[in-house]
Amino acid sequence: MTQQVKMAEGTALRQADFSNDTTVVGLLARNAKEIGSQVAVKEKDFGIWQEYTWQDYLDNSIYFAAGLEVLGFQAEEALLLIGDNRPDLYFGTVGVSALRGSPMPAYPDANPQEVLSFAHESRVRYAFVEDQEQVDKLLDLREEIGTLEYIIYSDPRGLAAYSAPGLVSYAEVIEKGQQAIQANPALYDDLVTRAQPSDAAIFVHSSGTTGKPKGVILKHRNVLAGVRNGFQGGSLEKNEVIMGYLPMAWIGDYAFTVAAGIALQWQLCIPEQQETLLRDMREIAPTFYLAAPRSWDNMLTNIQVGMQDAPRFKKAVYHYFMDLGFKVEKKRFEGQAPSLWERINRVVGEFFVYGPIKDAMGLSRIRTAYTGGEAMGEDTFLFYRSLGVALRQLYGQTESSAFNSTQSKDEVRLHTAGKPLPGVIVKIDESGELLLKSESNFEGYYENEKATVETLVDGWLHTGDAGYLEEDGHIVVLGRLSEVVYTAKGERFIPNYIENRIKFSPYVKDVAVLGRDRDELCAMVCIDIDAVGNWAELQGISYISYADLSQKPTVYDLVRDAIAHVNETLPEPLQIKRFSNLHKEFDPDDGEITRTRKLRRKVVEERYTDVIEALYSDKKEVTVKAQITYDTGETGTIERNLSIREV
Amino acid sequence: MFYRQAGVHHSNYKTDSALFPIPFDKWSIYTMLALGIFAPAIFGSFALTSYLLPWMIWAGAALSLNLLIGWAGQFHFGYAAVMSIGGYTAIHATLAGIPFEIALILAGLMSMVVGVIFGAAAMRVKGLYLALATLAMQFVVDWVLTHVPAIGGGASATLQAPDMTLLGFKITSEVGYYYVAFGWLLLVTLFLLNMRRTGFGRALVAVREKDYAASILGVNSFYFKSVAFAVSSFMGGVSGAILVFCFYHAVTPEQFTVNVSIQLLAMVIVGGLGSIIGSYFGAAFILLLPGALNTLVAYVSELLGLQIGIETLAHLPNLFYGILIIGFLLYEPLGLAKVYDNIRKYLMVWPFGYSKR
Repeated sequence: MTQQVKMAEGTALRQADFSNDTTVVGLLARNAKEIGSQVAVKEKDFGIWQEYTWQDYLDNSIYFAAGLEVLGFQAEEALLLIGDNRPDLYFGTVGVSALRGSPMPAYPDANPQEVLSFAHESRVRYAFVEDQEQVDKLLDLREEIGTLEYIIYSDPRGLAAYSAPGLVSYAEVIEKGQQAIQANPALYDDLVTRAQPSDAAIFVHSSGTTGKPKGVILKHRNVLAGVRNGFQGGSLEKNEVIMGYLPMAWIGDYAFTVAAGIALQWQLCIPEQQETLLRDMREIAPTFYLAAPRSWDNMLTNIQVGMQDAPRFKKAVYHYFMDLGFKVEKKRFEGQAPSLWERINRVVGEFFVYGPIKDAMGLSRIRTAYTGGEAMGEDTFLFYRSLGVALRQLYGQTESSAFNSTQSKDEVRLHTAGKPLPGVIVKIDESGELLLKSESNFEGYYENEKATVETLVDGWLHTGDAGYLEEDGHIVVLGRLSEVVYTAKGERFIPNYIENRIKFSPYVKDVAVLGRDRDELCAMVCIDIDAVGNWAELQGISYISYADLSQKPTVYDLVRDAIAHVNETLPEPLQIKRFSNLHKEFDPDDGEITRTRKLRRKVVEERYTDVIEALYSDKKEVTVKAQITYDTGETGTIERNLSIREV
Repeated sequence: MFYRQAGVHHSNYKTDSALFPIPFDKWSIYTMLALGIFAPAIFGSFALTSYLLPWMIWAGAALSLNLLIGWAGQFHFGYAAVMSIGGYTAIHATLAGIPFEIALILAGLMSMVVGVIFGAAAMRVKGLYLALATLAMQFVVDWVLTHVPAIGGGASATLQAPDMTLLGFKITSEVGYYYVAFGWLLLVTLFLLNMRRTGFGRALVAVREKDYAASILGVNSFYFKSVAFAVSSFMGGVSGAILVFCFYHAVTPEQFTVNVSIQLLAMVIVGGLGSIIGSYFGAAFILLLPGALNTLVAYVSELLGLQIGIETLAHLPNLFYGILIIGFLLYEPLGLAKVYDNIRKYLMVWPFGYSKR
């Protein structure tokens, strides 16, 4: 590997019509003035898409800010936000930043400890939550948090009888805000202009694959610099239609749905519930779609499961055109042009297979599709490319406002993450770590001097990712620096890379590849209950639970085939030799994966020591004892026999 | 593969409740509508008057009957009698100098009154007994038509239909008759499309599924059965009048015998109970297939040089026709509409299979 290139910088293709020397609120006010009557936000509710114009967006945000101020909210304070995507919560996010406070979103399924650590960290006095479930969660924790004064809720259902002090509905806050502004009309403009570019726009947390999440405050000028870089580099377009479904606590949600959404005047469509996303997405057919590889994999699994049920003729047509699509994309990969026959077939296939599938998934209007957050399996990537979805890789970090580099539309390269955006400089240091310099970089972890010093050196952000630059400036990200693993024989490999390839199989939901300081590679597999369950149904195999299904010999055959298929493409020392199906899925509540579903390798390796030891012995079976904590607080243990299988 | 649904969404309830939310359905309907409107320009005079015109009229009649059988679940074996009342009323009214538009309404009203009187009596019984009671209506009406000269004009008499003037236009041409029939069919279709989703339509379905269960839910089944009889009879009466004025141009009792009632019933059942497009299919099947089979059998026997007696040749189409009907009822008891629905669903979920759960 020649690593001649040590530094790369992006070049601007065009100029953005905004600078980063402004605020998100300011840009929202610009939209309200320019296109105030156009629809900015849509939410599916009561069976139809309820609409909010840009003017509504601004009004709600400012009223919320004014109302919050009436309640005593101070500048530079944090507002804890918990809930699924709701217009109210987005209005609140922008509203708080208008008050020069920082919105601090947490995952809606966060467990009490996580919420507690967030709340303690910034001594929150105000929380804005979605519904009764979250209100209950906070009321339970209220004493432990200590500082919490007000809990604002968006959905009043089930809360009528609550009499806890400080419990206020969103509608009341808005009303207070309206009254304050009626009494003092100048307050409206004051709130629009009060926040400065150097004030906090969002307070997020790094995903924490390696430890406790660290607080990251991004300022208006950071996030807007990111958006500007993206626009100038041709990675983001104006006037897209997007789905607001990403977890609000992930930087990707703020960077795309709020910052880019407002700066580039995108229409935000919010599904009724997380569960109805697929159907709602089909109704909207967004033009822009960003998803973690996990979600793309999920969608692929849906398609594959659907095809399992299809009659033979449909299957034959599907496979003919999908195989062809794969072949053409592979050729493009290698830089060859498809033959005339293949091009004709692609057009026919668009009508018979690609088009209908895109239609069923709501992808038919996609102009811009990104995968980001972690590496994607090659087959998944090829699958969408052959459907005609111009899927691209995006590389970014929480600490740098999510936008660093993207591939351009016609680049079908799987292993790179594209060129740096204009305004971003990428450097590789001696240890092979990727360093970033950009206006979108943050200015230090929240109250964590030690981590800040380690991460930010002379304005260079140490990403913790191993990688290199290709000669034409493309970034190649190999994986987390801490995750590059050597076997006992000195073979260097990145478990994540192999895992993603295995996960292409619809039957595999999660997999942990092991092999650090061992002679060979083994794997622990979590089957996908939907796909395998459906398969079992078709085969007439009965099962009682996840654990039971996962241990069926025929299911082992399925998984073995999936792994063997991946092994074919791997060099001999990196082939997986043995595996075991686990009795449960990895669960963020157990700390095995993060809320964005990244594997916490350390935790997994510790928790499944027995299984790992057995995998590297010649046992055929291993008994695991798992301790479970019930909702009541009682604990119990379950014992399971897990089989071990050679590939 | 034709049915693309991505991007179809609504931000108000008005568009959300459109009749055809799927673009492909909407465009197929527009195409059919355009075909219907431009049919006189597309098809020759023969096809127009001997295929399309009767098809339109009978489809309208079948739809009217389908309301009663398919939606309200009440059998009617004497529907030809209902139509004959309409036909005779319209002729007598126009002969008496009443404008045609009003005569049409009178025709409907008269059928409605007689239909409801018989219906109310018949509804004291259910199921097969109701069917027999309605059959009785057929014979009573037949008897009245042939034995009361004031109505039927004397035994086996034929009453000529006078010229018709509709909304100020004198209608004398084939094209004119076609458009009158087409317009009536459109009206009936639109009415049924919308009725399906009104409270009235849903109450009828409830009564059809189980009348006493509907009563328990607060749906007055006797009331809705009577209304169904009334509405269906009204539409049947107008259809009868249109049939007489646009197609036969005269009226005799032979046009509305019990055979016709059975044929109408066959249209509804072969087409599909409670299906609008099914009534179109059913009418086409029952009306046009015998003719098509005749031509086909003659053609095939000539092609193969078969020496078939003229007698056998005349009966063979009937044989195939019977086989086809039996076949349909055997393999797709839900009628032609279900066949269409199956094809539509196959394409709708393409390339996926039907979801099994």
